[in-house]
Amino acid sequence: MHKIWVVIRREFVERVRTKWFIIGTVLGPVLMFGVIALPILMAEKGARVRNVVVLDATTAGFGERLSGMLGQSGSVAATRLSVGGADLERTADSLAGQVGRGLDGFLLVSDAVVDDGRAEYRGSNVTSPADMRILQVTLRGAVFSERLRREGVEPGIVSRAQIPVDLATVNIRHGKVTGESGQASFFLAYVMWFLLYMAILLYGVQVMGSVVEEKTSRVVEVLVSSLKPFHLLAGKVIGVGAVGLLQMGIWVGFGKLALDRRAELAGLLGHGSDATAALASMPFPEVPLATVVIFLSYFLLGFFLYAAMFAAVAAMVNSESEARQAQTPVVMLLVIPTVLMIGILNNPDGGMSLALSLIPFTSPIAMPVRWAAAGVPGVQVLGSIVILAVTVLAITWVAARVYRVGILMYGKKPGIRELARWVRG
Amino acid sequence: MPNEPIVEVQGVTKRFAGHTAVHGLSLNIPRGAIYGLLGPNGAGKTTTIRMIMSIILPDEGRIALFGGRGSGKDLSHRIGYLPEERGLYKKMRVLDLLVFLAEIKGVPRSQARANAVDWLGRLGLADWAAKKADDLSKGMQQKVQFIGTVLHKPALLILDEPFAGLDPVNAQVMKDVVVDLARAGSTVLFSTHIMEQAEKLCDSVCIIARGEKVVDGPLAEIKRRHGGSHLVVAVERGGPAVQRVFEDRSLVAKADDYGNYAELELASGANPQRLLRELVHAEAAVTRFEIAEPTLHKIFIDLVGPEAAAPHAVEERVHA
Repeated sequence: MHKIWVVIRREFVERVRTKWFIIGTVLGPVLMFGVIALPILMAEKGARVRNVVVLDATTAGFGERLSGMLGQSGSVAATRLSVGGADLERTADSLAGQVGRGLDGFLLVSDAVVDDGRAEYRGSNVTSPADMRILQVTLRGAVFSERLRREGVEPGIVSRAQIPVDLATVNIRHGKVTGESGQASFFLAYVMWFLLYMAILLYGVQVMGSVVEEKTSRVVEVLVSSLKPFHLLAGKVIGVGAVGLLQMGIWVGFGKLALDRRAELAGLLGHGSDATAALASMPFPEVPLATVVIFLSYFLLGFFLYAAMFAAVAAMVNSESEARQAQTPVVMLLVIPTVLMIGILNNPDGGMSLALSLIPFTSPIAMPVRWAAAGVPGVQVLGSIVILAVTVLAITWVAARVYRVGILMYGKKPGIRELARWVRG
Repeated sequence: MPNEPIVEVQGVTKRFAGHTAVHGLSLNIPRGAIYGLLGPNGAGKTTTIRMIMSIILPDEGRIALFGGRGSGKDLSHRIGYLPEERGLYKKMRVLDLLVFLAEIKGVPRSQARANAVDWLGRLGLADWAAKKADDLSKGMQQKVQFIGTVLHKPALLILDEPFAGLDPVNAQVMKDVVVDLARAGSTVLFSTHIMEQAEKLCDSVCIIARGEKVVDGPLAEIKRRHGGSHLVVAVERGGPAVQRVFEDRSLVAKADDYGNYAELELASGANPQRLLRELVHAEAAVTRFEIAEPTLHKIFIDLVGPEAAAPHAVEERVHA
C-alpha cells in the first residue's frame, strides 16, 4: 500500500508543480465565466438602438401609430417614410443601398398588414432573435389594437387588453417546491455538463499521457521491477484524480466567492449599465448538498471509468501520436451525452434521458444533468450508481490486464484477438 | 549458508511467437560474485535477465532468488535492476526522481534523500540535483539511472549492458563503483557482449549463444578446462633427460623445441604440474614455466564457432 501512495504522490506533486496546472487553474474560471457570461454581456451590449425605416403605404394612419410604438420600445429608432402603394417596391429597392450605412433595415407595411396580417422586414439584423422579437411583438400589438379599433372597441379597453403576462417558472422536485426558477435549473444543468465533460476528458487524457510517457521513455521497465502493474495503474489514476479534485475545488471555491459577491463584481465592470445589472440579477440557483454529492460521485466514478479506458489505450500504443488516434472511440463514448444534452433537458423524465442516465458510459454526465434539470427518483440514482460502479470494477479489471501486458510491449499495435489473449492471460 | 547461490536458474525455456529465445538454461550465481552473462547480441541475455526479474515468466523451468523465497518482484527491495533500455522521467528533477525510485523500493523518504545526495556527490553530479533529467547529457542520465539502481543498497545488482553507451572515462568510473559494491558484499550479475570486459571483471561467467548455455563456472576453471594446454617452457642446461620428457607422448602432444626455449602442447588429460615435476626430476634448470591462458573470446570461438559468435538476431522485446 505504501508503494501506491508513493506513486500517487509523485503523480500529484509533479502535476501540481507544472506551469500548466497553474495556468489551467487560473484560466479555467476565466474561461467558464467567458462561456457563461459573455453571451449575456454581448447580448446586452450589442443591444444598441436599431435604426429602422417604416415604409408606410397604409392609408388610415396605422404607419404613424406603429412608428410611435416602435419608438417607445426603446431599442428601435423608427423613421416613417410615407409612400404611395405603387412606389413601395421602388423605394424599398433604393433604400436597400442604405442598409449597413447607418440603417439597419426597413419595415414594409401596407393596409394588408391589418387585413390579412402580412408585413415584411428587410435588413442586416434579421438573424438576431432579440431584434426580430421586438419587431414582431410590437407589430402584433399594433395590428391587434388596430383591428379592435376598427370594430369600434373603446381605446381604454384596448390598452387594458394589451397588458402583458409574465410567466414565472418554479422547479418542483420530489413533490417539493424548490424556490428555483426554470432558468436557474437549466443554468445549473448546463454548468454540470460543462464541468463533468471537461474534467473527465481532460484528466482522462492526462492519465493516458502519463502512461505513454512512461512507456516511450522506458521508465516503465524499472517501475515494473519494483511495483505490481496494478499498483502503478491505481496510483496513477488516483493521483491524477486528486489533481482534478483539487483543481475543481479551487474553481468551485472561487465560483462560490464570485457568486456571493456578484453585485460588487458587476459593479467593477461598469457602473449601473444594463449589462452589469443583468449579470448581477442572473438567476444563480442555490446548490443543495445532495447535488454536490451527486456531482462529485459521478465525477469520480466517471473519471475512474474513463481513466481506466484511456490507460488501456495508452498501454497498447508506442507514441503520443498513435495514442491520439487510438483514443477516438473512448472520446466518442464521452461525447454521446453531450450531443444528446438538449434532448435530456427538453424531457428529463423521458425514455432517452432514463436510458442515458443508466448506461454506465453516459451516466456520469447524463445523470447529474437530469438531476439538475428535474428531480430524479432515488431508485434510479441508486440503480445508476450501482451499474456504474460495477462497470468501473469490470473495466478496471480488463484495463489492468491490458495495461500489464501492454506497457512492456513495443511494436505493432495489437488486434482484437491479441487483446483478448492479454485479458485472458 | 554462505555458499548458497543467490540466483538459481534451472532448465529455463522461453518461447516467443516464432522462435525460442532461451532454451533449457541453467546457471547458479554464488553469493558475492561478480557474474558475467556473456554472449553476442540476440543470444537471450536480456530475456534471461527479465525472467530473473520476473518481468516476464519462463515457459518452462524454475528460477529461485536468495535461496528460493519469493519471486523477483517480491524481493525487489533487495535487488537493483538496471535495464538495457534506459529511461528516466524527463521532466522530473534529478533528486526527486532518485528519491521516488528509492521509495518504490521501500526506502523511507528521508533516508532515500540522504542516500541520493551522497551518491550524486560520489559520481560528480551534486550540482545537477535540482536540474530536470532532460537537461542532463546522455552519460549523466546513465549515471543517474545507475544511482537509482543502487540507492536502496541491494544485495543483488542486475545490470544489463551497464557499460554500453558510456565514454571510456565514465565506463571506468562505473567499473570502479561496481567493483567497490562487490567488495562491500553485493552480488553483481551483469550482461555484456564484450568478452574482454568480462574477462577483467568477473569471477564467474556464463556464456550463452542462441539461447543456450555454452559454458559456465568460475572464470579460472573455465580457462583451465578449455585451454591451459599451451605451455611456454625455458630450460637452461637441457640434456637428453629433458628431451625424453618432451618426447613422452602421455605428457606432451607436440613440442616446438628451440634449444633452451620450447612451446609445448600438453597431451589431453595431462597435468602441467606433472610435467614440471618430470622436468625438475630430469635436473633441468627451469627459468620459465608458463601456462599460456587463452582469452575468453578464443574459448568462446572454439566452443561455438565463429559463425555463432556473430550477432544473429535482434533480441525479442515483445513478451506476452
